[in-house]
Amino acid sequence: MKRTTRNTYIFINLGLAALVPFGLICLARHERTTTPRWAIIQDMDKQPYYKAQRPSKLFADGRAMRPHIPGTLAQQDFIYINQAEARAHPRNWAKDHVILKNKKLYDSILFGQTLVSGHGQWLTQIPIPVTKRFVKRGQTEFNIFCEPCHGYNGKGNGTVNRWDQRLRKLGSPEAGTWVPPSNLLGPGVAYLSDGLIYNVVTNGVASMASYKDQIPVVDRWAIVAYVRALEKSQKVVPAAKLPYLIRTNLKPLPTPGSQ
Amino acid sequence: MSERPFFVFPKWSDWLTKVIVISSLVIPVYLVFLIAYGCSARTLNVNYQPIQPVPYSHAFHAGKLGINCEYCHTDVKRAAFAALPPTQTCLNCHSLIAAKSRELQAVRNSYGTGVKSLAGMSVPWVKVDDLPDYVYFNHAAHVNAGISCLVCHGKVNEMTRVYQAKPFNMAWCLNCHRNPAPYLRPRNEVTNLDWKGKNKVKLARDLGLTVATLPSNLGAYLLKRYHVPTVKILTDCETCHH
Repeated sequence: MKRTTRNTYIFINLGLAALVPFGLICLARHERTTTPRWAIIQDMDKQPYYKAQRPSKLFADGRAMRPHIPGTLAQQDFIYINQAEARAHPRNWAKDHVILKNKKLYDSILFGQTLVSGHGQWLTQIPIPVTKRFVKRGQTEFNIFCEPCHGYNGKGNGTVNRWDQRLRKLGSPEAGTWVPPSNLLGPGVAYLSDGLIYNVVTNGVASMASYKDQIPVVDRWAIVAYVRALEKSQKVVPAAKLPYLIRTNLKPLPTPGSQ
Repeated sequence: MSERPFFVFPKWSDWLTKVIVISSLVIPVYLVFLIAYGCSARTLNVNYQPIQPVPYSHAFHAGKLGINCEYCHTDVKRAAFAALPPTQTCLNCHSLIAAKSRELQAVRNSYGTGVKSLAGMSVPWVKVDDLPDYVYFNHAAHVNAGISCLVCHGKVNEMTRVYQAKPFNMAWCLNCHRNPAPYLRPRNEVTNLDWKGKNKVKLARDLGLTVATLPSNLGAYLLKRYHVPTVKILTDCETCHH
């Protein structure tokens, strides 16, 4: 073998060998690993303080965070506006900040009750001023927390319910003891007072769980307002049955999106 | 007069010199590229997919069923930390559906209906997306400014077991902090991971505008509307490392 050919072989082989680490790294990039990365230089990545929801050996329950003390309130629960907006519109902040001034307001907002001659009675109206923004807030929260069971329109056919009906049809034992959720637009809810609906959201009823840990107090009232709005939206009178003067003055419906 | 020299380089040293010169030029360059590629955050951090105590599938719950992210991660709009849900949240449905499932054993243990010694303890979830302890990331600030979950967590609604989708190094953060406009979207579409923003009618409704008054540059409009701080503030050390 000539010397130059041998050199070329060595050169090519070395070049190919040099590509192997790159290939291995490329494979590692596209592979899921169950172990975290190992860091040679820690760079203060892990510091001896507790972040939210981390374990701790100090307490018997193994949590670093302490549970909510019964009988206390988080101030945050009574503000339903974010900080950036609050900074930009200080007047709105004051408007959207519910202050529990007295015992009556405290009872009505927290428990949906008011004292009538020494007995608690369910409130018949929402104790927070109902504005358009408030109802919209209710819509957002309703679509997050109520929709899985009650559906976007409140008729009790949410995604989780539909899935369970499917399991039931397939005869799966996983369908379990699910009960189809109630229709929020039916008379059963229409005749409930606002305070009682609030109580149902807070403490649950029958197979519905309590949502007091998931939804803050003010948002629960916003949901009550939105449920009322949903009910109103269903009480539609056909145009033909309207009085003549109103019927003839009707304007065409705006196209979606044009307000 | 011919004196015998003290030392004569052998013939093969010609070859050695060549090898030394060439390799001293090539090997450092090679190593630079190899280390840059192999130790990059994209290689080291992405695709970490720990095994969880409960085989909870985001692909099913958030994707197929379409349950909103906020149903479980309730605090995300109000707090710095997007909290993992308490066991009660699982039991909202799973006390009725698939209540006896083998996969839910850890949940039942935590709730007190399984192994008695574990009652009241947390389900030992493993954290996937973790930042260094000197970074103070605030979920509420980002979500309220119209930054979607998608930007940092990837398509969680398609993940059967959650893995880290983004590198989470500082250069990657600054990528957005230096030019946040293209990452913004209407606030109520933040948890909609399939949002494209193509539907003008829907977009107008989200923003409370009409199709005619829709801004041509959505990013710039949202920057102003959601009071996003200036780039000078966003790239200040103190913003994230306070």
